[in-house]
Amino acid sequence: MCLPCWGETDVDTFVTVTQITLGLAALLAVARAIKGPAIVDRIVAVDLILLLLAAGVGAEAARAGSEVYSAIAIVVALIAFVGTVLVARFVEWRDVE
Amino acid sequence: MTVLGGIVMAAGLALSVLSAFGVWRFPTAIARMHAATKSASLGLSLVVLGAGIAASSPGIAGIGALTTALLFLTAPISGHLLGRASYLTGTEQYRFDALEGAETSPLEVEPSGSTDFSITRWLGLILVWVLLWRDFSIGSFLGGAAVTFAIELTRRSVASPRPVRLGALARFAVYYLAALIRTNARVAWEVATPLQDDIDEAIVGILLTVESPQAALLVANAVTFTPGTLTIELSGDPLTLYAHVLHFEGEARLQSEINRLEKLADAVFARR
Repeated sequence: MCLPCWGETDVDTFVTVTQITLGLAALLAVARAIKGPAIVDRIVAVDLILLLLAAGVGAEAARAGSEVYSAIAIVVALIAFVGTVLVARFVEWRDVE
Repeated sequence: MTVLGGIVMAAGLALSVLSAFGVWRFPTAIARMHAATKSASLGLSLVVLGAGIAASSPGIAGIGALTTALLFLTAPISGHLLGRASYLTGTEQYRFDALEGAETSPLEVEPSGSTDFSITRWLGLILVWVLLWRDFSIGSFLGGAAVTFAIELTRRSVASPRPVRLGALARFAVYYLAALIRTNARVAWEVATPLQDDIDEAIVGILLTVESPQAALLVANAVTFTPGTLTIELSGDPLTLYAHVLHFEGEARLQSEINRLEKLADAVFARR
């Protein structure tokens, strides 16, 4: 494999390695979501899991050359944001008021 | 192009992994938020942008740029809300806590009675819609106009809107990007060294002297991307920004950083 001239198969391998690494990183976040201890720790962990998932889907666009994957990534990132904001507000409302 | 895209994607991957390590390793909830908001958003942005470069596809890169813009708007907001929720529900004791016993009030923005019609904003929104569909038919333009109309109807307009100076906005963006790179280098350093040994968390309160609520918003978002700090509250009267810092070195240090940000943010919103 020569670096300045990546072919189809090299891109394929690269994307697969990227996705596996993101999956392993998500395992750390899963561990944090299980361990907690506070509910905000779990929210942070789940938010991160979704962002890592979005990155994995977004990376797929490089292999497939299709915009559909980027669109899915943006939607997942949006859902992560809306979910995080919602639960953060809920926690504040439940515990403080 | 493929190799450049690969390098950008690899950088994004490294930041994503870094952020996961931070969330796993950091000792307190707000410290973990530092890792999650600062590194994960830039990591995801670089991965989607890199995918567009690697595939040499303007469409993918365009959606990647949109994702990046979205993340830089949303990451400080979720960091802010989570940080505040964590502060209010947590039992953490800080050596220095400016929020303790402080009265906070929401930042009020006067709604305006009149409409502030702007042809550039209308055309800009329609253009974004048409570019997203990549369909240059009349129907597409009409659809864009309908969506823009809906946005304008639901948008809350602000009293005495200030026109945005594009040059100043670009200068602010450059500073923001530099801060983003510095802050990620800092997170990498914190992950690599055992943070629990020298962590000295504090809540710092800084009085803001910006001229408009819009500028205050820019400053609050930028502080989240400043190394070692995370905005957790923006209080209205007097306009005060409360930030969580990982290593407390007195308020003066953050003050000088914020003074610079305030000047940059005030320049963006021109005076009427």
